[in-house]
Amino acid sequence: MNLLDFLPELLLLAGALLVFLLDVLGVKRLEVFGGIAAAVTALGELVVIGDLGYAPLHALSTIPASAIDQPLGPTLYAFTSLGLVFQAIFLLTAFLVALASLSRPSHEPGAAVFFGLLLLATLGMLLVAVASDLIFLLLAIEVTSLSTYLLVAYPRKEPRPVEAAMKFFIIGALSTALSFFGASLLFGAYGGTSFYALGAATGYVGYPYLATVGYALLIAGLGFKVTAVPFHAWAVDVYDGAPDDVSAFLAGGSKKMGVFAFFLVFLGPLLLAERMPSALPSGFGPSLQITLGVLAVLTMTVGNLLALRQKEMKRMLAYSSISQAGYMLIGVAVGTGPAIAGATFQVFAHLFMKTGAFLVVGAAASIGVGPLIDDWRGLGNRRPSLGVPFALMLLSLAGIPLTVGFVSKFVLFSAAVQAQGYFVWLAVAGLLNSALSVFYYARVLKVMFLEPSPASAGVGATGSGRFGGIGAGRAGAILLATVAIVALGIYPGPVISGIQLAATHFLQIGA
Amino acid sequence: MTGLSFALDYAWLVPLSTLVAFVIVGLAGNRLKRLEWGGWVAVAGAFVAMVVGLLVAAAEMMGPGTYTDQSFTWLSVPGSPGTFPNGVNLVMGVLVDPLSALMLIVVTVVGFLVMLYSIGYMHHDRGLPRYYAELSLFLTAMNGLVLSDNLLEFFLFWELVGVCSYFLIGFYYEKPSAASAAKEAFLVTRVGDVLFLLGIFLYFATFATSGPGAGWAASGFKFANGTQPFLAGISGGNSTTLTIAGLLMLAGAAGKSAQFPLHVWLPDAMEGPTTVSALIHAATMVAAGVYLLAVTSIFLGFTATDQLAIVAIGGFTCFFAATMAVVNTDIKRVIAYSTISQLGYMVLAVGAGVTMVGMYHLFTHAFFKALLFLAAGSVIHAVGTQDLRKMGGLWKKLPITGLAFLFGALSLSGFPFTSGFLSKDDILGSVLAATSAHPLYWPFFLLALLTVFLTAYYIFRAFFLAFGGPAPRDPALPEAHEGPWVMRLPLIVLSALALGAGWLAFYPPFASLLAGGGVPPSFSATDLALSAVSFGLVLGGIGLAYALFGNGRMVEVPAGSAADRVRSVLLNRYYFKAGYDWIGLRAVYGFSRAADFVERYVIDGTIRGIERAFARGSDQLRKVQTGIVSDYAAYVIGGLVGFLLLLLVVAPWIVAHLGGS
Repeated sequence: MNLLDFLPELLLLAGALLVFLLDVLGVKRLEVFGGIAAAVTALGELVVIGDLGYAPLHALSTIPASAIDQPLGPTLYAFTSLGLVFQAIFLLTAFLVALASLSRPSHEPGAAVFFGLLLLATLGMLLVAVASDLIFLLLAIEVTSLSTYLLVAYPRKEPRPVEAAMKFFIIGALSTALSFFGASLLFGAYGGTSFYALGAATGYVGYPYLATVGYALLIAGLGFKVTAVPFHAWAVDVYDGAPDDVSAFLAGGSKKMGVFAFFLVFLGPLLLAERMPSALPSGFGPSLQITLGVLAVLTMTVGNLLALRQKEMKRMLAYSSISQAGYMLIGVAVGTGPAIAGATFQVFAHLFMKTGAFLVVGAAASIGVGPLIDDWRGLGNRRPSLGVPFALMLLSLAGIPLTVGFVSKFVLFSAAVQAQGYFVWLAVAGLLNSALSVFYYARVLKVMFLEPSPASAGVGATGSGRFGGIGAGRAGAILLATVAIVALGIYPGPVISGIQLAATHFLQIGA
Repeated sequence: MTGLSFALDYAWLVPLSTLVAFVIVGLAGNRLKRLEWGGWVAVAGAFVAMVVGLLVAAAEMMGPGTYTDQSFTWLSVPGSPGTFPNGVNLVMGVLVDPLSALMLIVVTVVGFLVMLYSIGYMHHDRGLPRYYAELSLFLTAMNGLVLSDNLLEFFLFWELVGVCSYFLIGFYYEKPSAASAAKEAFLVTRVGDVLFLLGIFLYFATFATSGPGAGWAASGFKFANGTQPFLAGISGGNSTTLTIAGLLMLAGAAGKSAQFPLHVWLPDAMEGPTTVSALIHAATMVAAGVYLLAVTSIFLGFTATDQLAIVAIGGFTCFFAATMAVVNTDIKRVIAYSTISQLGYMVLAVGAGVTMVGMYHLFTHAFFKALLFLAAGSVIHAVGTQDLRKMGGLWKKLPITGLAFLFGALSLSGFPFTSGFLSKDDILGSVLAATSAHPLYWPFFLLALLTVFLTAYYIFRAFFLAFGGPAPRDPALPEAHEGPWVMRLPLIVLSALALGAGWLAFYPPFASLLAGGGVPPSFSATDLALSAVSFGLVLGGIGLAYALFGNGRMVEVPAGSAADRVRSVLLNRYYFKAGYDWIGLRAVYGFSRAADFVERYVIDGTIRGIERAFARGSDQLRKVQTGIVSDYAAYVIGGLVGFLLLLLVVAPWIVAHLGGS
């Protein structure tokens, strides 16, 4: 094992330790902690992009190309290009959040806790992306989970975040228990927990139904992470109660980790069902796909329905993010190369749209806009610098052409159509849900652009200080997300083909 | 090749420059200190577009037949066994070939002149930034359409020009008639658009998924650079699917180019500003339908059945619309009917297999028709009315406008040695030549020939009514005066083009553009006798118009001043119009009311019902979101049990009984 293979992870760890150390030493300036967090995530991002084979950054890459996408073995971790793509997504999310958080008040209490935990949570996510063993995966998820529970509660003096953190923790602990129980049943059935063992049934000892129960437990346990319905109920309270930047991180980052965990865990039995049908109950492969399809449809539909009548902006975004998780699960249920690529691209797109949207909400709050959607009346005309990016993010979430959200849905749904059979209905459900979602996104647009500002909007309406009182870091993060939404909407080609290649390799290494 | 060929690589600058103008005027137009400044930004954008457009066209002329395609893949679906064996690529690109170069000249030159003219004409209007922004967006979309290198991109811009047309017809949206005209135009062309889209689907389903054309979808539906029409080549030039798809293309073209029976929207579209009528509803957008037919015939291919249908629609429309122009008293509507009629000539030519002859007429028509509209606009600007019966005696007060209108009228009627004469006689000659192989074309040729007479009559009737006589018939009209230079200059330039643009066909490099489609216009083949006959018809038309309306006369039916026979013909025309109005009022309006009913109660009702159902569902679901952690834990456990049952019992049952996926 070459320790340098884990350079991004080590960078994050060092960054987190440095932040905590400086805090103990009495450096109480948010800019320092935020600067460290932004720097290590940015550097890590460059390293990962270099590892992915992007030539100009090749000098930074540490993992030899020969070590990526190797056939699966009974190991704890393995580097796959799809995993590296997810690492890039996680690091970019953390970077955007860190950048935006730099604009918070300089002497905010708990700043070190926030940035340190942000780095540790991201570290856990990076480890998820290289896992090749179920226990390793679950432990990596725990690293992130524990960090995020604390992250939600870091403004310790306020009751709402603390309450949210408690709910998050209790449901999270329950889910972890279910996941590990599922893992132990799988160990019982296959005599190992590496994905190699699960996919090839190397140590098969009988009891195929043991595996079925194990996978059902994992659906529930991991469903918590991706906010799949009905394991989603915590998400809204938590996204709503957490500080805005933490919500941005949760929606943009830790949910995506769950999607990748779904890829890792549920592609194995599909392979096994083809390779050695006797090691599973008969018809298990299609059954699992139907089950995951139901999970996807349930998630997108319930999420959209709940969002439909929401009056609070953050809760609306939280529900919309549940429905987006439903779209991503389509990729898991279909399980073909194009579908995995589509779901991955959807994850990538969601990073900009949803993380960006929560960052805008944070910016709006910082200039005195209230939590209700009605408080946003006339904001588009009053503050186009916030209104236009937010409008683009919502249009992208709704899947309107020339935004990245359209492209990602197009790629994902066309993959489901291509797979034919039941999967066509997943695409249909996705399309109907997209149509439904336009209702509530359009309502926000109408409120922002067509309705007059409330009389009380005088406070901070014109903004004071540089960047209209939003702060350079946050303005930069919002700008970055907006540019990405439009640029990838117009010219997504290279990114898509890169992801498609990664997805193809990902399927090959299990085979 | 010459030093100009580099311009071919910069064709994308044409739509881009007007797009920049659109963005500037659209975002900042209301903040400029003086609203006209937005207008000058738009003029500058259109000017850059014209310069680049002309350079591109010149480069294409210097390298005859060059096919320059720059494109990038927007979205791609990789091939896999199943529906799309070769995958699908959605491509955005810019294609310069003789056909698009020819169109580029028309759109950019007329676009710039109209934009300049607008500075003077729209001077008094409110909402100027909106006007210039929308007009710039229109030019972007129109140039994008002209330069499209594939069918889907073509359709995208086709829809965008439709939307711009809707906005601009409804520019005076406070006026109910303008708002409803905008809606009508949008809906009627929409009928064509839907059929056009169906045609694309049909091409896709038949030629793009399997068989020898399977690579077409993978290449992004590109307009192929070949020696024969791509799909006709695949299908051997004759297949039912190809015929139906061709008819659907024709339907799309009929909507955009206001051909029978989708012609109804164009006269009402005159509710928009006259500049909009000149640019969109005379020179460019309405020609897009003809352009679609031309593109289809050159790149994709029509069958013989399609061609007969196209000839029939074109020939009938050109006569049918002319009859309606004969009696109208609104100066803009007379010209609008004449536009429909002239578009009918072009459709006729494309149908008869002489595509480039039709394009040649499109080219000349754009200039003389824009001229007529701008001259009419100058008249309206001066006297404040569109009613021909109130005008009169404007020749002395508006000499430049009068002369411009005269030149436009001469060219429109096909008076010898004007542009219109060259292109129209070319159409008549080629269609006559085609009748020997296709006797079924005969009736439509005769209709087209007869239209020559009508055209000369109605346009000179309008001319004599507006400019003839000593003084306005309505004394209440304000004292007329010519507009500012920004209005006069486009009139002068367009006058020159209206008379002379057709002669460019004798300039070999330009002729190479027309030859690019494979069937060059053939002047030598023009039958002298035919020209003589058509000249006779022109003279007859002008003479009759003079007899009835010259020198300030105005023959009102049933006045007895003219010969009985002529009067009865006129009367018949009135019956025709009455019948047409009756159809419009009863059938179309009845249909609209039925549609309105369906829209209001059935569709709206359904949508409201669905909305309410979703809202209720949403409210019910929200009760689940209690905020109590133990409830949430119960959902997790309940979900676990549910999914376990699904995975263990339900899904295996589905797989066993209904088959796996």
